Amino acid sequence: MEGREKGFSGGRKYTNGEITVYWKPGACIHASYCYRELIEVFDPGRRPWVDMSGSTTERIIEVVNMCPTEALSWKWNDDEKNKNISIDQTNHIIYRRPELLEEKEDEDGVRPISVKVMPDGPIVLKGDFTFSYNGTSKKIKEGIISLCRCGASNHMPFCDGIHRKVGYEDK
Amino acid sequence: MEEDKNNTEIKIEIVEDGPLNITGPIIFKDLKRDVTVNMDDVSLCLCGRSKNKPYCDDSHLSRTEETE
Repeated sequence: MEGREKGFSGGRKYTNGEITVYWKPGACIHASYCYRELIEVFDPGRRPWVDMSGSTTERIIEVVNMCPTEALSWKWNDDEKNKNISIDQTNHIIYRRPELLEEKEDEDGVRPISVKVMPDGPIVLKGDFTFSYNGTSKKIKEGIISLCRCGASNHMPFCDGIHRKVGYEDK
Repeated sequence: MEEDKNNTEIKIEIVEDGPLNITGPIIFKDLKRDVTVNMDDVSLCLCGRSKNKPYCDDSHLSRTEETE
């Protein structure tokens, strides 16, 4: 059944038979890639807001991979195909919600974190890591942090979206 | 209670007046330049002065000297 799923509280999932797209609203930072790129599938004004029949599997994967947070992730319904995912499939749930796959552990038990440098925007870090700044150190599990690169944030060291107002350009 | 096999051995550190240092493993993606790569360590510019963005090239050092 579509909708709620165990182990994915507060989330939704949508499928076209070939892939499943996971939606975790709490993680969304409104980067807007999804509906700017593919309003036919991702339409915030519609309920349900995801319509998997609106485009091809290939295009949906492409757009889900653009999401800078783990708000959107995806997997193949055929588990065999989930076993050899290349690293450019950045929003595949291997990298986002590994507990949703019946997972074999990495050989050394360490899962890479995701580091995304947004165009003219922040650095978005995702995963499990120890974060240190200003003499403090904090262990973060399944976290997402967004760090200022433009220097103008009023909430340093975190991004507060002001790079757009100050016209920061990443040259 | 041991926290088994979590990834907190991955370290992210903001150096004061300096870059963001990450000790991996990481999946690194630079969306503007369309770079996707697996790497172990990276040092990223936070001061805006690097000539090799998004990476740090130690340009923050010259700023510190100037302002002092």
